[in-house]
Amino acid sequence: MFHQLVDMVFSASFGYSIIRITSPILFAALAAVVAEKGGVVNIGLEGIMMISALFGVLFSYWTNSWLIGVVGAVVIGVLVAMIMAVFALKLKTDIILAGIAINLLGGGGTVFLLYLFTGLKGNTASLTTPNMLTPKVNIPLLKDIPVIGQIFSGHSVLTYVAFLLVILVWVLLYKTAMGLRIRAVGENPNAADSVGVSVLKTQYIALAISGALAGLGGAYMSMYYSQSWNIGIVAGRGFIALAAQAMGQGEPVGAMLSSLLFGFASALGNKMEGMQGFSSYLVASIPYAVTIIGLVIYAMSTIKKVKRFKDSDK
Amino acid sequence: MENKHYNMFEIFRGFIAIAIAIFVAFILILICADDPGKALECLLIKPIISNGALNTKSIFTILARMTPIIFTGLAVCVMFSANQFNLGGEGAVMLGGFVAALLGIYIPMASGVHILVAVLAGTIMGGLIMIIPAVIKVKLKASEMVCSLMMNYVIMYIILHFLNNVFADRSKGATQTYPFLNTAIIPKIIPTSELSWGFAIAILATVIVAYFMYRTRWGYSIRMIGINESFSKYSGMKVGSIIVLSQVIGGMLSGMGGAIEILGRENAFKWLDLPGYGWTGITVAILAKNNPIMIPFAALFISYLNRGCELMSIYAGVPAEMIDIIQAVIFLFFAAEHFLSGTRQKIVVKDAKEELHKKELATSGEGGNA
Repeated sequence: MFHQLVDMVFSASFGYSIIRITSPILFAALAAVVAEKGGVVNIGLEGIMMISALFGVLFSYWTNSWLIGVVGAVVIGVLVAMIMAVFALKLKTDIILAGIAINLLGGGGTVFLLYLFTGLKGNTASLTTPNMLTPKVNIPLLKDIPVIGQIFSGHSVLTYVAFLLVILVWVLLYKTAMGLRIRAVGENPNAADSVGVSVLKTQYIALAISGALAGLGGAYMSMYYSQSWNIGIVAGRGFIALAAQAMGQGEPVGAMLSSLLFGFASALGNKMEGMQGFSSYLVASIPYAVTIIGLVIYAMSTIKKVKRFKDSDK
Repeated sequence: MENKHYNMFEIFRGFIAIAIAIFVAFILILICADDPGKALECLLIKPIISNGALNTKSIFTILARMTPIIFTGLAVCVMFSANQFNLGGEGAVMLGGFVAALLGIYIPMASGVHILVAVLAGTIMGGLIMIIPAVIKVKLKASEMVCSLMMNYVIMYIILHFLNNVFADRSKGATQTYPFLNTAIIPKIIPTSELSWGFAIAILATVIVAYFMYRTRWGYSIRMIGINESFSKYSGMKVGSIIVLSQVIGGMLSGMGGAIEILGRENAFKWLDLPGYGWTGITVAILAKNNPIMIPFAALFISYLNRGCELMSIYAGVPAEMIDIIQAVIFLFFAAEHFLSGTRQKIVVKDAKEELHKKELATSGEGGNA
C-alpha cells in the first residue's frame, strides 16, 4: 500500500493535480496577503469567492464569453469588498464581523440571487457551455518536455495568472509607492498618517485589490474547476487562504508555498480516496489538520526567533 | 451617570437597522415573488397567526429552534467578550451532539441519569476541544480565528468518518446512527410539538451566564480583558488563563447546545454537515450586543424570521435562503459603531449643554443665597 502511494506521488499526473488544486487557494491567499499588509483582516474571502463564482458564471452565460465572465467576477469581487470596506472603515463595523456578514451573503444569499436572476435552484450545471469555461493553455516547447510538460502545461489560463500574480503582488508591495503606503498603513497607521498618507484611502485600495484577487479565485472555481456554480463550491477555501497567509508569514511567496502545501495534502487526499484501506473522510480532513500543524510550527519558530533576538540583545 | 437619552438612542438605532433589513427583504420579495402580499404575510404574520387563529404548532417550532442558537449565542457572548474571535462554535456543536448521541445509543442507563450524563459528556467534549485554539493563541500567539475555522472542518470529517464507517445504521436509506435509547431522549414540554425541556435549560443557562459575566470575578476579568488587555495584565490578572477559560466556557456552551439539540429534536444522529448554529450564534450575539440577558430575545427574533422565510418558501415560492441576506444586513448595521453617529453626536452634545445649563443655574442660585 505504501509502495503504491510512493509511486503515485512521484507521477506527473500528481504534480499536475497539485497545481490545479493550489490555484484557487493561491488567488485567495494573495488576496489575504494584500489585505493583511494593509492592516485589515479579510475574513470575507470565502463569501467574496462564492459571490464572484456565481456572477462569473452568470456574466459568461449572458455574454457567451468566458473572458467577460472573468472580468465580471473580478468587478463583483471588488464591489463586495467595497461594501465590506464601507461598513468596516467608514461605519466602524468590526472588520471580522463585516467579513462574517459577507460570508453569510455568500452562503445563502447566493442561492437566493441565483434564483432571482435565473429561476434555478442550487446550481448552474444546466447553463454551462464550453464557451463559458476558461480555456486550457498548452505552453509551446514546455509541453513537449517529458514529465515537466505534463505537470506544468495544459492548465487553465487562470492558473498561470495566479502564479504570475505572486510576482506582481510582490512587485506591488515592495517596488511601488502604493505598496509602500499599504505596508506603512498596516505596520503603523499613526506613523503613516503623520507623514500624510491617507490611512482610510489606502485601506480601501488594499481591500479592493483583495476583492479582485478573491474574485479571480471564485471565477477559477466555477468557470474551470467545477465547471459550474453550486452551493458547496468554495468549501472553506477562503478560510484556508487565511491560514496560508498566516503560515506564509504574510508574504506573497510564503503564501504560495503554503498554498502548494495545502494543494499537496489535498491532492494526496484525492488519490488516497480511491485506495483500499483509507477512509475518504479521514483523508479529507488532512489538509485542514496540516494547516493547523503548519500554523503551530510557524508560530513556534517565530517565538524562538524573537527569544533569540532578545537573548542576543542582553 | 447612565445616560437615558443615549440608551434610548441605542435602541432606536437597533430598530433602524432592523427596519433597513426588513425593507431590503420587502424589495427582494417584490422582485421575486409572484404574489408579494402573500409572501409578506407568510414572512411576518403566518409564523404566529394563520387563518385568524394562533398558529400554536408554528409557535412551538419557533421556540424549539431558539434552543440551539441561545446556546451558541451565549457561547459567542462569552468568547467574544474576551475579544477572542473564536469561530469554533460550529465544530463544538457538532462534536457535542455526536458524543451525546453515542452515549444515548450505546450506554444504557437509568432514565433521568442517561440524559444528564449524555448532555454533560457533550458539554465537556465541547469545552475540551476549545482548549486547542485557546492554548495555541495564548502560548504561541497564532490566530485563534484561523485555527478554530480549520478545526471545524477536521472535527466534521472525523465525525463523518465514524458515522459512515463505524456507527452507521445500514438498514436506513439515509446515513444516520441507530436510534437513541428512550431513556436518552429529552422529553417534550408539549407532547405533540418539537419543543423539548431543552428550551428551559437554555433559559436557565442564560441566567447562569448572565450571573457569571456580571456578578463574578471571572466574568469581570473576561470582560475587562476584552475592553483593555494591557490594563488587565498590568493590574495583575492572569490574562492567559482567563482567555483559555473563556474559550472553554464557550466550547462547553456550544457542546451543550449540540447535545440538547440532538437529543431533544432528533431520534438519531443525522448531521452530515456542520449544522450552522455556530454562525447563527454570532448573529444572535451581535443583536444582543454581547449581553447574555438579551440573547433569548435575539434568538427569538432570528428564529421567527427563519420560520417566516421557511413558510414563504413553502407557500409563496421565495427561496428560504433570503434569511441569510436579511441576517447579513442586520448584522452589518447592528455592528456598525458609526452608523447614525451624526445623530448620536447631536444627542450627546445636547445633553451635555443641558447639564451645563443646569449646573450654571444651580451655582448662580447658591451665589444668590449667599
